[in-house]
Amino acid sequence: MPPKLQVIELDARYGDRHVLYDVSLDIPDAAVTAIIGPSGCGKSTFLRCLNRLHEETPGATSTGRILLDGEDLRSKDAVSVRFRVGMVFQKPTPFPNLSIYENVAAGLRLLGVRRREELDDGVVDALLHAGLWEEVENDLDAPGTSLSGGQQQRQCIARALAVRPEVLLMDEPCSALDPIATHKIESLILKLKREYTVVIVTHNLAQARRVSDHTAFFYLGKLVEFGPTLKIFEQPGEKLTENYVTGRFG
Amino acid sequence: MRWLKALDRTFHGITGAAAASLLLLLLGLLIVLYDGARPALLRFGPGFVLGSSWDGAHDLYGAYPAIAGTLLSSGLALLFAIPVALGVALFLSEMAPPWLREPLAYVVDLSAAVPSVVYGFWAFYVLVPFVRSTVEPGLASLTGGTGPFSGSPTGLDLFTASIVLAIMIVPTIAAFSREALRAVPRSQREAAMSLGATSWEASRLAVLGPARRGIVAGVILGLGRAIGETIAVAMVIGNIYLTPTSLFSPAQTLASLIVNNFGGVGPGLERSALFEVGLLLLAVTVGVNVLARLLLGQTSEPRGPRRPAGFRLRASALLGRQHHPLPHPVSPASASAGADSAVAAGRWSSHLVDRVPKNLRRRRALHWVVVSICAGALLLAILPLASVLTTAFDRGGGAVIQPSFYVSENPLGCNPGPGRSCSLGGIGPEIQGTLLLLGLGALVAMPLGILAGIYLSEYGRRGRSRFARGASFVADVLTGVPTILLGVFVFAVFLRLDHDSATSALSGGFALGAVMVPLVARATEEGLRTVSTGVREAALALGFTRHRMSLRVVLGSARNAVVTGALLGLSRAAGDTAALFVTAGSSSFWFQGFNQPTAALTPFIFTNFGSEYANLASDAWGAALVLLLMMLLISVGARWVVRSRSVGAEL
Repeated sequence: MPPKLQVIELDARYGDRHVLYDVSLDIPDAAVTAIIGPSGCGKSTFLRCLNRLHEETPGATSTGRILLDGEDLRSKDAVSVRFRVGMVFQKPTPFPNLSIYENVAAGLRLLGVRRREELDDGVVDALLHAGLWEEVENDLDAPGTSLSGGQQQRQCIARALAVRPEVLLMDEPCSALDPIATHKIESLILKLKREYTVVIVTHNLAQARRVSDHTAFFYLGKLVEFGPTLKIFEQPGEKLTENYVTGRFG
Repeated sequence: MRWLKALDRTFHGITGAAAASLLLLLLGLLIVLYDGARPALLRFGPGFVLGSSWDGAHDLYGAYPAIAGTLLSSGLALLFAIPVALGVALFLSEMAPPWLREPLAYVVDLSAAVPSVVYGFWAFYVLVPFVRSTVEPGLASLTGGTGPFSGSPTGLDLFTASIVLAIMIVPTIAAFSREALRAVPRSQREAAMSLGATSWEASRLAVLGPARRGIVAGVILGLGRAIGETIAVAMVIGNIYLTPTSLFSPAQTLASLIVNNFGGVGPGLERSALFEVGLLLLAVTVGVNVLARLLLGQTSEPRGPRRPAGFRLRASALLGRQHHPLPHPVSPASASAGADSAVAAGRWSSHLVDRVPKNLRRRRALHWVVVSICAGALLLAILPLASVLTTAFDRGGGAVIQPSFYVSENPLGCNPGPGRSCSLGGIGPEIQGTLLLLGLGALVAMPLGILAGIYLSEYGRRGRSRFARGASFVADVLTGVPTILLGVFVFAVFLRLDHDSATSALSGGFALGAVMVPLVARATEEGLRTVSTGVREAALALGFTRHRMSLRVVLGSARNAVVTGALLGLSRAAGDTAALFVTAGSSSFWFQGFNQPTAALTPFIFTNFGSEYANLASDAWGAALVLLLMMLLISVGARWVVRSRSVGAEL
């Protein structure tokens, strides 16, 4: 199966600060790829390049190519790239003045969906998919911010799923959550990978091990090692990777 | 060590007393105005607000025309100002290239520093003729000259006054809206963008909603300013005491009524009626400001879980629609058993993807339309400042380059004719008077304001003291009280204490002090609050006593902010006309004693702006330019102080 995303010689900077050096990586389809590494290694920047969000930061630049299904992201409109590559952030980001329903429907409305039935279907479907439906089915008109942290995060996942992206990027989606909420999101990720390509940045090594099929280890802006998760954790090819995954630094 | 404790307590007491003076100022204002208004209140009762005459011969007074004029002019001003201010705020916070944002915002803020007498002067010479010759006839012919557009356009009317008010409140509304927009975290915008929103859609979806409360508060504060604005309105509204019947009617507002009549009346029923008008104005502006501050205060409160009633019904209605023929009906009952089975991958992808290019072009176009509109709003907002500056340089530049202008007395009014040239004279006494009044005001306001600010920040932290929070709130409200009322207040107090010096340099100085105190107190408080708790605790841990910690460590590291606040207060006081006009008296002589009337720049402009003598008009423009240059200097100076963060603990 061809890779969903091909990253070729990616370099990224914030102004004068060089944060990613010559990263090349093939992200496989219908699988979970985890990005691990110590703080400041460029893993979030890497993720933000994949839906061209990086370029929205003032002063941010990048070179190199990223292919989605073989097509260069840069040759396409940024808005339509982001519609195919969804993203979930570290902290839940519900739109505070919108209801749960409208939060999830936001992306559909952007796409011009107007018919009530179509919206209803999309919202219900996305909430079911995100495993949130049963908890909110009676509260759809409550503000999106009235949910607990874990529920808000799943609401944001539902919002991203509602437009049916092909790739889902997750930037430390559980770092602000308690263990039970984390567990729910992890099992959701395992379920999602049957239909989506998931890329997850995480600080939590155990989490990377539990949810991912492939793992990339970044250090100081460089890709050190990339391979099947089991191999990275059990038989790392590099000394640096071994030191990191066994907890000697990081 | 006991004496150190005592010193701490003394310091607490002194700063607390300074903070209490803010409360006393508001309370005193209320009492003095009420006291002055009592004869009129007894005589006219509640009918005062419906009475429509201002008849000195028969001693009949009613405020209805002024109330109507105030509501109409400020309402109309809001109508003009809100779209422009929102456009400015959106452009500056969301759209402008990052390196342009600060300088542009600075220019917009600068237009808030132009004294209202200068705006009025400019409007009288530039705006009024334009409105009279072009705008109003155009409107009249478009509408057939009926209803609100009836009557003959004179340019000196409700319509022009509303435009001037709008120009003056746009910076206020824009500043508060911009703050509210900027307070929305970046992650909100990014969340919207990663859903595939264009940048305008991200603003609409993720930024405008959360910022709504702050924007509304800014609009209400703008309304408060419009209601209380005195001098600029008095210069262009026509000042005829009739209930307006059209936009082109000359009118009066509550504030312009006071400033136009207060100087000329002796003790008696008319003065009392003016006090009652003042009481009305105070009630309205305080009410509006309290509302706005309450709204602003709430933004910081976290929103707790909320369960609105009625959602259950609607949600079940949503599920009850299962009989609708959907492409792939989702049955939640069965789906919840196995969510993934109900969701066929890519089921919608195809037809959604088809949609993208179709509506994308329209959405991109919409984005650029909105950006252009907002950029246009910014240009519109900057235009008045540019015009004010060029007009002032054009008409006053000749005067200010002559050294004698700064040291000579006012000339006799004269028009140059054949074989006759006029002496330009100068504004020496006015400059002397203004400096003196500012000095007097600062002498009162700086210690009081800074001490009060220390109390509000150091003893009111973390909601420890309800009194401190209340005083801080009152200081905010006081900055929204029209300065004409502060002038009337000081005048009335002096009248009671020492009849002869009610209009004097001393009285004027106190009036400017009253204008400055709340500004300085709040600026100091804000500045001190930026000093981190860590620094304070470190100082206390080193064995500093509380007052030494406040004075040396905290004040030391927040010195720049305090200086900026003091400059802001000075600049506001230097540009004030209304409070001086009723307290400093009228004089065109050099200093004659603290208990004598004194000359000053702003009243000089206000009394001579329409002078039929060419040399006096030139002098007034020269004075306006001097004021503008002073404002620019103070503003640039304050910015420089903020920039040069030489935060040292060498105090």
